[in-house]
Amino acid sequence: MLRQWFKLVALLIALVPWPAQAVLTIEITGGSEAALPIAIVPFGVEGYAPPEDISEIISNDLASSGRFAPLDKQDLISQPHEGQQVNFQDWRLLRSEGLLIGKVSSQDGQNFQVQFQLFDVYKAEQLVGKRYNVPASGLRSLAHQIADVVYETLTGEKGVFSTRLAFVTEMKNADGSKRYALQVSDADGANPRTVLQSTQPIMSPNWAPDGERLAYVSFENAKSEVYVQELSSGRRNSVASFRGLNSAPAWSPDGKKLALTLSKNGNPEIYVLELASGNLSRVTHNSGAIDTEAVWMPNGREILFTSDRGGRPQIYRVDADGGRAERVTFEGSYNASADISPDGKTMAMVHAVNGKFHIAIQDLQTGAVQVLTDTTADESPSFAPNGRMILYATEQKGRGVLAAVSVDGRIKQRLGESGSAVREPAWSPFRR
Amino acid sequence: MKKAFVENFLAGSYSLLLHLVLVVLLVIGLESTSTPELASDPSVEIVQATVLDENLVEREMAKLEEREKQEREAEQERQLKLEEKLEQTQEELARQEREYLDMQERAELDKKQREKEAEAERQRIKELEKQRELEEQKRLEAEKQRQLEEQRRQEAEAERKRIEEQKRQAELERQRIEEQKQKAEAERQRIEEEKRKAEAERQRIEEEKRKAEQERKRLEEEKRKAEEEAKRRAEEERQRAEAEAKRKAEEAAKRKAEAERQAAEDALQRQLEQEQQERDARRVQGVVDQYSIMIKQRVKRYWIRPSNSESGLQVTLRVTLLPGGDVKSVSIVKSSGNPVFDRSAESAVYKAAPLPQPSDPKAAEALRDFQFIFKPE
Repeated sequence: MLRQWFKLVALLIALVPWPAQAVLTIEITGGSEAALPIAIVPFGVEGYAPPEDISEIISNDLASSGRFAPLDKQDLISQPHEGQQVNFQDWRLLRSEGLLIGKVSSQDGQNFQVQFQLFDVYKAEQLVGKRYNVPASGLRSLAHQIADVVYETLTGEKGVFSTRLAFVTEMKNADGSKRYALQVSDADGANPRTVLQSTQPIMSPNWAPDGERLAYVSFENAKSEVYVQELSSGRRNSVASFRGLNSAPAWSPDGKKLALTLSKNGNPEIYVLELASGNLSRVTHNSGAIDTEAVWMPNGREILFTSDRGGRPQIYRVDADGGRAERVTFEGSYNASADISPDGKTMAMVHAVNGKFHIAIQDLQTGAVQVLTDTTADESPSFAPNGRMILYATEQKGRGVLAAVSVDGRIKQRLGESGSAVREPAWSPFRR
Repeated sequence: MKKAFVENFLAGSYSLLLHLVLVVLLVIGLESTSTPELASDPSVEIVQATVLDENLVEREMAKLEEREKQEREAEQERQLKLEEKLEQTQEELARQEREYLDMQERAELDKKQREKEAEAERQRIKELEKQRELEEQKRLEAEKQRQLEEQRRQEAEAERKRIEEQKRQAELERQRIEEQKQKAEAERQRIEEEKRKAEAERQRIEEEKRKAEQERKRLEEEKRKAEEEAKRRAEEERQRAEAEAKRKAEEAAKRKAEAERQAAEDALQRQLEQEQQERDARRVQGVVDQYSIMIKQRVKRYWIRPSNSESGLQVTLRVTLLPGGDVKSVSIVKSSGNPVFDRSAESAVYKAAPLPQPSDPKAAEALRDFQFIFKPE
């Protein structure tokens, strides 16, 4: 009986066709973090030609992020401007991750209608599409906005192309005297606008969290003073003009306080100024050293600052309420000018190697330091609000210029093209 | 003087009375011996009857005769005794007479003195008294005579009645015997009848027994026959069933053998086929493996993953290919949860197309529908 059962079972097993073995599975690991190929077709123009090449701005923005590799224009197979003109098969052959098309039309050369569509060429579906009406002066800004949309759609992160940069320029007059300006530009360094000019040095601009105000140091009164200026109105006022040094303002994350370096008691120390009340509290107490360049941790409870209390400048951390500071940097003999990533995990700083000053990042959890730049006179690192790029100033041919580097160090680029020396840049927060 | 006189007088009276009694007794004794009427012959009448049990009757008759004889002898004996008694009485009387005479003589000797003194007087009174006593004696004797006669008459009457009674008793006895005889006869007859009936009953029972025995034998015979028949049939049935079973078993064995042969053949065939399939499968698998690596390399080269991909992300895609390696469809089997990451994988597959396809049709078939798992590391 049992044997018969076995036979039966064996027969059944033999007869049952083996299901096409568990579906063949191929595992792909790694891949690259290379820039995404994207086809950006020059926007079509109807009516008056726009004063800005929108698709060019978008293309540059995306390329500057290091995350995108726009196809060369000569590689573009066709020039569709509307969805129904797209032959997806063409774009598939180009292996682009996305296809951006659009058009600009204007009846009067003053007001422009702009529309764009982003496609997934493999699925032959539109990922996003928008239409705007802007004045001619808004075209560049709009282009950055569109770049942000494309960026966010394809990377999942917010783009920073609509954010701004603040920096100080220094120009020499013909008579040898110097002219200082506080400027704000687009995130690509273009379109700089001067918000303050002075014959006296301007230093350390710092963005308020609302992106509407700047704090900075001005020597316009022959002494250092800390000012807060509202960008839209240009209204400004001095918030710190104590005896001695008033420098290195840094906004608290809630925008209610400024951390400052004051030497009103003789030695440069870190203080916290409550803007509404003018209350001042001292954070550091180290009479033998310079404590300066404060920056708030995103949690708003701690402050990073540079101090030479150890003999050489290093970065320390201290509670905003004061207390004992702890050293943060240990690698190298010079670490200064800290900035913190929006997620609070990565610190950027000026890091000297063999007497050369580079931008480096340090993982605050592991302490691992990674030098990002190969330039040699880098200063004032400042994180982009999405944390992907670091803005800094460096020297090119003996002149200060703006530069940016991706946090992975792969993308390095110069920003802006001005005839003046640029120093102490600061990347704005996202627009609210 | 007077007292002596009274005493003499009483003694004289007493003597006189005694004499008188003796005389009377002598008279009576003489009379009774002279008339012996008692010896009457008891004549027994023998009833003639049909005697069935001669012996019994004869025994009864003998008994009766014996009894009568005994009675007669008893009567004779009684008469003898009576006579003896009479003689004894007479002798007693004679003895008493002699005693009396002796005593009288002694008294006469005493009295003769005194009597001679009062002879004269007593003689005279005695004369007078004698006169009166004689008269009285006569009257008493008459009375006595009458009483004796009456007594004799009563005794005779009683004797008669006794004899009659005896006769009646004899008659009753006879009747009783007769009755007994009849009863005995009836009893005999009854017994005879009962015997007969018992015999008849016995015979009847005997007959019934015989019949029952016969019936039993008959039934036994029938049963035996039925059993034999059943046995015979069962035997036949058994043989038939055995034959059938044997036939079936043989058939089954044949079929089984055939099936086994067929199964063995099939198994061999299958084994051969399987071996062939396995060889093919191994060969195909080899090709598939080789092309899987090529596909992997190619897709990997085209995969640009988001630079901030978290290490935990993983997306599974189902891919179908057209002949020639172009992508027919890509679908997400299991999303990473991150649409950008998912899309980067999908795009990688599309960009890698056409995927390397082997010329072997089976291997190409296997590579026409498969899965990709994309993960950063």
